[in-house]
Amino acid sequence: MFKKTTLAASIIMMSITTAQAEGPYRIGITQNNVGVDSYQTTYESAFEAAAEEAGNVDIVVLDAGGDVARQIGQMQDLIQQQVDAIIIWPTNGQAVIPAIRQAHQAGIPVVVTNSKIAEAGLEFIAAFSGPDNVQQGIASAEMMCDALGGEGQIVQIAGQPGYTTAMERATGFEVRLAEACPGVELLETQPGNWNRERAQRVMEDFLTKYDRIDGVYSGDDNMGVGALNAAKGADRADEIIFIGATNFAVGYDAIERGEYYGSIYQSPVDDAEAALQTALDVLAGEEVPKMNFFETPKITAENLSEFDRPVF
Amino acid sequence: MAFAEQSKSNLPAGKLSKASVMSFLSAQGILIFFLVGMFVFSFFSEQFLSQSNIMTVVRQASIIGIIAVGVTVVIIGGNLDLSVGSMLSFSTVLVVDLHDKVGPTTAILMMFALTLMLGAVNGILIGFLRLNSLIVTLAMLSAIQGFVLIYSGGQNVDIANQDGTWFAFFGRGYLGGIAVPILLFGLLAILVQVVMSYTGYGRRIFAVGGNPMAAVYSGIRKNWCVFSTYLISAFCVACAALVLGSRVMGSQNNVGQGYELLVLAGIILGGTSLLGGAGSIWKTVIGVLILGFIQNGLLLMGYPYYIQWIVTWVIIILAVWLDLANKRKRLLTTHS
Repeated sequence: MFKKTTLAASIIMMSITTAQAEGPYRIGITQNNVGVDSYQTTYESAFEAAAEEAGNVDIVVLDAGGDVARQIGQMQDLIQQQVDAIIIWPTNGQAVIPAIRQAHQAGIPVVVTNSKIAEAGLEFIAAFSGPDNVQQGIASAEMMCDALGGEGQIVQIAGQPGYTTAMERATGFEVRLAEACPGVELLETQPGNWNRERAQRVMEDFLTKYDRIDGVYSGDDNMGVGALNAAKGADRADEIIFIGATNFAVGYDAIERGEYYGSIYQSPVDDAEAALQTALDVLAGEEVPKMNFFETPKITAENLSEFDRPVF
Repeated sequence: MAFAEQSKSNLPAGKLSKASVMSFLSAQGILIFFLVGMFVFSFFSEQFLSQSNIMTVVRQASIIGIIAVGVTVVIIGGNLDLSVGSMLSFSTVLVVDLHDKVGPTTAILMMFALTLMLGAVNGILIGFLRLNSLIVTLAMLSAIQGFVLIYSGGQNVDIANQDGTWFAFFGRGYLGGIAVPILLFGLLAILVQVVMSYTGYGRRIFAVGGNPMAAVYSGIRKNWCVFSTYLISAFCVACAALVLGSRVMGSQNNVGQGYELLVLAGIILGGTSLLGGAGSIWKTVIGVLILGFIQNGLLLMGYPYYIQWIVTWVIIILAVWLDLANKRKRLLTTHS
């Protein structure tokens, strides 16, 4: 029902933007699934704020509600409306490619935001803007190696199976760990589906299965805090190093309390602003590289004070 | 299995004939399956039958179990409740969000009141307006998820001071060495089973589910009976939300997504008929535990947990088939 409200709201917004289409650029954005998690919700409001700030942009905000078919329909609507550029947060890296090609053929530049699309679609997009998830996995592996002093046995709780972000982080982590830290053994990986309760259950089972666990790498802090909960319940939190990604407020607090070693700071505000800026650069005719990654630094107790507490 | 089964074999009792052994096996098939399954799993993982693992699994299963107790009553009364997944999200988000705003006691009371209100809406629509329960609760499933998203604005909710609140008791506490979620699950299951087996109210629910027309002619106020089953179901969801919110100390706004199907799977696995008028809470408890042990056992053996979906499917089909085979006294159909 909420999705319908956003859709209705965006239709109203569309008519408003058409009515006062005086700004030089009209940019349409079709998002993955606003409202389902805090990151995407914050992204949307940050995107609207950034457009407001830029001044010369009118935006058409659409939300696919996680539905590929609806997103393809929204792409076609945006093409029909002849917007100047389209930003897409793909619901699926493969299935949206034909719609992106249509936009490309209609002469509308497409910027992909946050999650990559498959290799085959890259020739049709003007640019990608988002976090470098492979690099994040690499950074987490290095943090893990430092924290354990190069030795130990760890487990991994990955994100949703089949989701690009989850796979890229896991790959980056596993490859870098094997290469830089041969003394640390990855015992097992299980998916936690970006869900804290799910991750908590997986960790409880890991704790039963393995008498010694020195570290846990989680695909995001939401799951990482679930793992921390489980370890606390088993009185084993003190002997385990917790490292996550996408620093959540709960993870930030846990780092502050000294229960959680570190994470990767990824701000949805930076993500949204980078996407809009990339689209504006493309429209201004600048040379824009295909892959644009915004900064996602490591965050540990040492540099915690340099970062604001995440809003999600 | 101290309580009477609702469906009795019509074969003469007393003699230990081949037929009576067979009928015992198929009537108690799910329990036997459970024990055999535990035995097999224990070969593959030495920790599987350890006390701490069993406690872990039962504690993990208790959230689904608590909900399943309530939904079993609805199903015995001849209806369905698919709205429990969203209702769980609603109640968990509510109790966690209100915890820091108004304090744990008020938060819990408000959460119970609002969850019961949702149950009452289901109950009025299905009990008094006599709308189809499948459609009503399916619609409620998406409507309630919508409320949750509007209420939370899509943000996760968290309890800020996780170590300094007695709210932790419900999901993380222990009483006499047993985890509180397990105690809650056990207490609710025993209470509801006793009510269903030994009180006039329980018999009326069985009557309404088994033969609504006959129930009405015997002077049972069917509308009220159906209405009350949805209150019981909502009450159980509220208890589950208490455990879940306290266990996680936070909530995603879709945390209960898919729980309605897990709950149904546990109930069907236990052998409660979806047609109403038959079933028992004990069977549901065993069904839910089987699901929990499959998930845990596969993980201890190193398989990704979603293999359990496939395994669960196989087991449900087998359970339904054996149940039917038992009723018609042969494995395949009687008519071609």
